[in-house]
Amino acid sequence: MNKLGLYIHIPFCASKCSYCDFYSFAANDNQIDEYVKALIKSINYWSEKCRQYIVDTVYFGGGTPSFIGGQRLVKIIETIYNSFNIEPNPEITVECNPDSINEDLLLNLKKVNVNRLSIGVQAMQDNILKSLSRRHTALQAKQAVKLAKKYGFYNISLDLMYALPNQNIDMVLDSLNQMLELEPTHLSCYALKVEDGTPLAKQNPILPDEDIAADMYNAICKTLKDNGFEHYEISNWAKNGYYSKHNSRYWDLSEYLGIGSSAHSLFNGQRFEYSANINDFISGVKAIKEEQVDGFDKAEEFIMLALRTSKGINSFEYEQKFNKSFRPFTQALKKYISYGLVENKDNIWTLTETGFIVSNAILSDVLSSVE
Amino acid sequence: MRSQDKIRNFSIIAHIDHGKSTLADRLLEQCQAVSQREMEEQLLDNMDLERERGITIKARAVRMEYKADDGETYHINLIDTPGHVDFNYEVSRSLAACEGALLVVDAAQGIEAQTLGNTYLAIDAGLEVLPVVNKIDLPAADPQRVKQEIEDIIGVPAMDAPEISAKMGINIHDVMEDIVANVPAPSGDENKPLRALIFDSQYDPYKGVIVYMRLIDGHIKAGMKVKMMATGAEFQVIECGYLHPLGLSPQDALYAGEVGYFTASIKKVSDTRVGDTVTEVDNPTSEPLAGYRPAQPMVYCGIYTEDGSKYPDLRDALEKLQLNDAALSFEPESSVALGFGFRCGFLGMLHMEIIQERLEREFDLDLVTTLPSVIYEIVKTDGTVIYCDNPHDYPDPAQIAEAREPFVKASIITPQEFVGNIMPMCQERRSIFKDMVYLDSTLVELHYEMPTNEIIYDFFDALKARTKGYASLDYELSDYRKSELVKVDMLLNGDQVDALSFIAHKDMAYTRARRICEKLKDNIPRQLFEVPIQAAIGGKVIARETVKAMRKDVLAKCYGGDITRKKKLLEKQKEGKKKMRSLGTVQVPTEAFLAVLKLDDE
Repeated sequence: MNKLGLYIHIPFCASKCSYCDFYSFAANDNQIDEYVKALIKSINYWSEKCRQYIVDTVYFGGGTPSFIGGQRLVKIIETIYNSFNIEPNPEITVECNPDSINEDLLLNLKKVNVNRLSIGVQAMQDNILKSLSRRHTALQAKQAVKLAKKYGFYNISLDLMYALPNQNIDMVLDSLNQMLELEPTHLSCYALKVEDGTPLAKQNPILPDEDIAADMYNAICKTLKDNGFEHYEISNWAKNGYYSKHNSRYWDLSEYLGIGSSAHSLFNGQRFEYSANINDFISGVKAIKEEQVDGFDKAEEFIMLALRTSKGINSFEYEQKFNKSFRPFTQALKKYISYGLVENKDNIWTLTETGFIVSNAILSDVLSSVE
Repeated sequence: MRSQDKIRNFSIIAHIDHGKSTLADRLLEQCQAVSQREMEEQLLDNMDLERERGITIKARAVRMEYKADDGETYHINLIDTPGHVDFNYEVSRSLAACEGALLVVDAAQGIEAQTLGNTYLAIDAGLEVLPVVNKIDLPAADPQRVKQEIEDIIGVPAMDAPEISAKMGINIHDVMEDIVANVPAPSGDENKPLRALIFDSQYDPYKGVIVYMRLIDGHIKAGMKVKMMATGAEFQVIECGYLHPLGLSPQDALYAGEVGYFTASIKKVSDTRVGDTVTEVDNPTSEPLAGYRPAQPMVYCGIYTEDGSKYPDLRDALEKLQLNDAALSFEPESSVALGFGFRCGFLGMLHMEIIQERLEREFDLDLVTTLPSVIYEIVKTDGTVIYCDNPHDYPDPAQIAEAREPFVKASIITPQEFVGNIMPMCQERRSIFKDMVYLDSTLVELHYEMPTNEIIYDFFDALKARTKGYASLDYELSDYRKSELVKVDMLLNGDQVDALSFIAHKDMAYTRARRICEKLKDNIPRQLFEVPIQAAIGGKVIARETVKAMRKDVLAKCYGGDITRKKKLLEKQKEGKKKMRSLGTVQVPTEAFLAVLKLDDE
């Protein structure tokens, strides 16, 4: 049987962070209940089509899944258990914000065997958190993580943001070290990208320049290495093999089914998405083919995604999978070896950490070199 | 014999914003040559570009009928003139077609040095100069003082000059009467062989070239075979007539003293050079009119399209512009950096800018141009002499016996107070001071010999900046002089970029090279590796800058398995790359070339 990851999108938040341009908003109980009902209906619908699959990862993303409360999440997860084929001990992740983590939530999640939490801590300076319109303080974040541990959640991933307005490298390292004291198994560290139309963009913030941002990234890499973390993807680090199994699907072109407004799927060879409108989803509008971007076929997607990981590209695997020669890419990648951006060992091609943060430039060059 | 005493031919000399066009409109109204409704605002300047820049690029002419106070009807021809040093020759030919000139002076600001150059051209050409004091409606107007100033500086009687406001339409009638009374009537001989002065021409897709001319002697009519005396081209006249404000007005024939046009299925304006004499093939004059000078490009540069596939469009556009502009020359060239393009020759920098702007505006082309250059004269060791306007063709120093650069004789007229600003500026540009003449107690004329190379880039702008716009500049090519020239090559990451090479005097090479390096550094985005920018003479590096390696670029997340954002970002980056020129290993945006070209703007 084929393995499948399930992604459930919860597009609700208590309030919007200033940098966020994902599909999420503050909703009332009634809307949330409607939406959960539609999710359950949709899960049942899809399970019929997934008889040949066995689910080994489930991921609740958002928005803020924890915001809708434990009981609703339990209802959804139980539906999944009851309808899909599920592997024993699947990885079940729920994204949480520190301000919505409480005993009730944790007890409920524990009840349905949620075994991984991804907590948006972002920074450990209250003024920075406030400037991003986060709803919690550093202290609250720490208490939330400790509470989760108390209730038996050990596989915890924390999010950190860097290259923020008014942030210097010491602040980044201070945040990181405070997070490390909480002993997470996994860290995701993202550079801020100011998206058009967000409140942050309207503030026209002064951001750390390219060199400082790169120094921040390098400092994060070094600190996490010193603390025994493995840098397994551009923005992701894990201890003792605690990779995010679900997220890894995105990078190795494994199949995943996304259910909910704006959720994306790679299923049965097709990429498709639900519209970013909960009313569409509630009224049963089906997912449609994902927005096409010119110049990308499956082979190019593979290269783009595989180079995000420390595993890199196995050129044999590429040639077998796509029945095409990897040689043109070899030529393009080779020139970056001497600059310390690319490494090559036998048939494996990877970006170095220095290469990771300029991966867009490398990728656009490599991909356009064969057009 | 037909009487010429009812004909008046004149030009208007005015400072740029002293209302030349407005006055022209008012004069037309006086003649009811055009009704108010028909009148496009400021008829004489009919190119958009001219209006925006407030300058007249191409001369035009109109014929008006005026019923004067004496009861007689006069035919009055107004011939417009361009107003920039690049077009001094064209101005002189337009003036040569007239017997008089109105000198429009601002009643508040008084006479401006910029108008003096053309006023002297008019006086030299033997024209009657009639002062007109304009803008008397301004609160600061002081017509008496201004009239005194005109008499003191120019030495023409001004006390009876009309005091007008072109804007408000005050006393325009006086100007017309002044023209009738004081501009001499033409005095050519209708019975002599045809002699007509070409003062402009314009390409028309239906009629071919429309030749604008002033008949000095004889007559012209349809069917007559005519010859351009300088170019030797012969044509049969198809149509001739007057220049009505709203278009051509065909006539059976035109006679001595009149201003008008003829057409003869002429394919290119280069056959009808400004200043040339038109005569009749079967009954030619032996004496062409004096003052003809072939249009001579002084500045050359390479013009390329940003998008290499637009090369044929560029060729078509240049051909079309050349139909109307005999001074524009071009021939194909190619560059490793920029692909296929054209080496183009211009009268001066303004002419170059106008052509570039018209190519971009009227033909919708995005251009990349190379550094402008003058024509150098190189005596090679084997005794041959070559002329070189392109760094690419500059011989190896070992083959050069003597390098020579062109010099101009420049004359600058300026109020005395600015002399102290002008002199150091000329000295910096390797100019040789000849003399300084006091034109009156405040106005001086400075004479310099200057390397053309130093005058073409930014001299005129710098002069205006340092004299609050009061100084005027006139120059003409004089001779070639021995010079210590060097060719400077620019290298990016070790590879030479042909489009950026330049020829300079050795004393100027270093400063220029350093500034180009700086400009490139500021305009080349960081690449995945460090990019050295070097300027070198022969193998010797004289300036260097470095573009640091890129350290971080924008990383899109693949959140929730949505990889469209990432793909779009990459696609955007790839698109961005397409707008770059690949020079060896380095991606260079077009702006970098533009920035280098604008080196002298600061």
